[in-house]
Amino acid sequence: MRVSIPSLCGLSDFRGFSQVAVSNHTGRLVLVMTKEELKGASEEEQQAQSKKGLKKAQKEAEKAAKKAEKQAKLAAEQQSTDEDDFAKDRYGVSPMVQSQEKLDRVLVRVQQLTPERADQLIWVRARVHTSRAKGKQCFLVLRQQQFNVQALVAVGDRASKQMVKFAANINKESIVDVEAMVRKVDQKIESCSQQDVELHIERIFVISQAEPRLPLQLEDAVRPEGEGDEEGRATVNQDTRLDNRVIDLRTTTSQAIFRLQSGVCQLFRDTLTDKGFVEIQTPKIISAASEGGANVFTVSYFKTSAYLAQSPQLYKQMCICADFDKVFCVGPVFRAEDSNTHRHLTEFVGLDIEMAFNYHYHEVIDSITDTMVQIFKGLRDKFQTEIQTVNKQYPSEPFKFLEPTLRLEYTEGVAMLRAAGVEMGDEEDLSTPNEKLLGRLVKEKYDTDFYVLDKYPLAVRPFYTMPDPTDKVDLEKIKAYIDSFRYGAPPHAGGGIGLERVTMLYLGLHNVRQTSMFPRDPKRLTP
Amino acid sequence: MSMYQVKPITGSDINVDLPTCMYKLPNLHAQPGSGSCIDNVLQLSTGPYVSSDQNGEVDPALKALEQRQDDILRRLYELKAAVDGLAKTVTTPDADLDATSLSSAAMMSAPKEVAHLDSLLGKDLGALRDIVVNANPSSPPLSLLVLHGLLCQRYRVLSTVHVHSSVSSVPPKLLNCLGPRHADSYTRQRFQLGFTLIWKDVPRLQMKFSVPNMCPIEGQGNVARFLSRLVGLEPHDPAAATMSDSWVDTAFFQLAEGSGKEQAAVLRALNAALGRGPWLAGQSSHWPTLCAPAASCRRAPVPPRPPPMSSAGSRGART
Repeated sequence: MRVSIPSLCGLSDFRGFSQVAVSNHTGRLVLVMTKEELKGASEEEQQAQSKKGLKKAQKEAEKAAKKAEKQAKLAAEQQSTDEDDFAKDRYGVSPMVQSQEKLDRVLVRVQQLTPERADQLIWVRARVHTSRAKGKQCFLVLRQQQFNVQALVAVGDRASKQMVKFAANINKESIVDVEAMVRKVDQKIESCSQQDVELHIERIFVISQAEPRLPLQLEDAVRPEGEGDEEGRATVNQDTRLDNRVIDLRTTTSQAIFRLQSGVCQLFRDTLTDKGFVEIQTPKIISAASEGGANVFTVSYFKTSAYLAQSPQLYKQMCICADFDKVFCVGPVFRAEDSNTHRHLTEFVGLDIEMAFNYHYHEVIDSITDTMVQIFKGLRDKFQTEIQTVNKQYPSEPFKFLEPTLRLEYTEGVAMLRAAGVEMGDEEDLSTPNEKLLGRLVKEKYDTDFYVLDKYPLAVRPFYTMPDPTDKVDLEKIKAYIDSFRYGAPPHAGGGIGLERVTMLYLGLHNVRQTSMFPRDPKRLTP
Repeated sequence: MSMYQVKPITGSDINVDLPTCMYKLPNLHAQPGSGSCIDNVLQLSTGPYVSSDQNGEVDPALKALEQRQDDILRRLYELKAAVDGLAKTVTTPDADLDATSLSSAAMMSAPKEVAHLDSLLGKDLGALRDIVVNANPSSPPLSLLVLHGLLCQRYRVLSTVHVHSSVSSVPPKLLNCLGPRHADSYTRQRFQLGFTLIWKDVPRLQMKFSVPNMCPIEGQGNVARFLSRLVGLEPHDPAAATMSDSWVDTAFFQLAEGSGKEQAAVLRALNAALGRGPWLAGQSSHWPTLCAPAASCRRAPVPPRPPPMSSAGSRGART
């Protein structure tokens, strides 16, 4: 179908297509293709239609012309700006690092950006924490673990307008490589950890881009609960954090918590090794439940089934009978307890100790409590930065303890409770509220958060390691364990603590999931 | 004629006075008010309510009552005059003589009681009674160490020393200041009293015993008083008690914390007092004497050797 359009154009006719070539004011030819279905039609129809069709086609052509104009304009602008962009090779998105080349470049840690490095040109790799454009400048905050520093891209002889725009549009959490001059600032930058310096960026490249929409914002994740409610700003609730654990772990608070937890493990190992203990690894797939059949996970084991260890108890004791004298082990513990409380996990890390003693089990208690005190002292002396960081979001009193550890007898605890008005029998077990009350009373009198309650009445604490004949435990399954006592076993004792609980109680946090990196409980199996 | 006849018993000419009033009450207004309030009595005696009975004369019993009232009033006035006179004599310097006569009388009347733990500390609840003392390692309470020694001689005391987490380290001498660890320390039940010394970053010495019943006791002087009572060193007559109290206060406030002038004055007083006798507060109370060197040690730059009060320990125990 031939169409005539009132403009300068050339027309050509192809099967099923009509091409319209339009030229714009710069003389450029832009081709606009429209596809029309051709059906055989009579001349008369054609005639009648051609008028309507003419009008329609006219309108479409006008639209197309306008669109073409706009696009051409943009292209022209871009060309002109491209021409002006002298800093084109000083920014951009780098290709993925695939070890194609080895750059002999030293990357400085943000922690080391101090006034001593003023007026040095250095390279830094960090995450973009925030970016904010203001006219001819763009302010960025670059973050690396607990440390962050302010950076600035300004239009000048080193940076162009396009570069500033590019910097302002980098998505948050993207990892960037930055070459910048370190400059001292007169006024301290309160919002950053590096308060005395600022980076003036000369080159910026994106190494790994982040998606524009983050599931949670890091500023919200670090905000203390009360402050959030007061000012109407958001805080992130625990389930969202746990579902997006990777991002939540990037916050300064989480970094501090897990560094401290690593310190606990480290101090535990070092203290016990200095005391002459040997670290052992015990099997976690075992043939019989060690703490009672109720709270144990069963796994299929080829043609039979096996259990996940509830504690390393049986194997610790066998090691003592094997003449290792003093052992400890750090490893996972699995408890299939359907408790959804703030202090229960189905899988946690157990720090377990077992040792042979000479004449009195107090030797073991002294050793264990001394280990705990050394851990507390080590944390107090070497991890103050981390403790202060956690306190910013979760304020709490510092952890107090006595050296040597306070040891009260069960009867004294009962007497203290009775003096406070609780009625209980001499041989009665401590209920959880009574236990908490006793803790508070001890804190009031002795000002310590950690103490030992000794000499529980036998009626209250059945001797765990003795299998109960009425419990229907298949003795065949724990034959190896029983046998280890037949061939001479020294008197021994031991105990274990949960790593997550210790960290939680030391920092004054209220939920054990905050101190477990990827927590497991009856309702959570991922991430 | 009537069937039955009874001879008359009485004559028929007796005048019977028929009563005109059904119920009679005694006249309440005629009686005076209670005799304890003098004003009331005076008012009533002069007021319109003059006592009189049916005959219009004053009841002799009432008269006797009034007489008694007057007597009492007179005696009261006499007593008041006597007390005023005595008050005047007490404020004059000659009052010392009266005080000594009073104190000796008091001493003779008050029986000497042996201090009993249960009566002092309350009922035994079946567990070790623990005294907790929080002290700053930069100023160790030397007087308490001596008193602790006396306590150990009198009772079975379980002593422990702890270092609180607020203090980073403590010299080994301070860790062993309460003596070696008792052999029986694994069974706390075998002891009557616990003495737990905690080296802590506190501004003032602090003692806690029974938290629900007692507030913490602060200051070395006050803790020393508490412990001295446990040991049984507190004098029973008020004069000696007051004197020992005042020496303790002098030691801990003026000697330890006072200015140079105050210190010098106290040292002069101490010199004078110790020149008169070996003990500051008299024969009956030796323990204030050891407060003075304890307090003065706090000012000395180098902690001196333990004060030569070991004799005090043995002498104190003998009282």
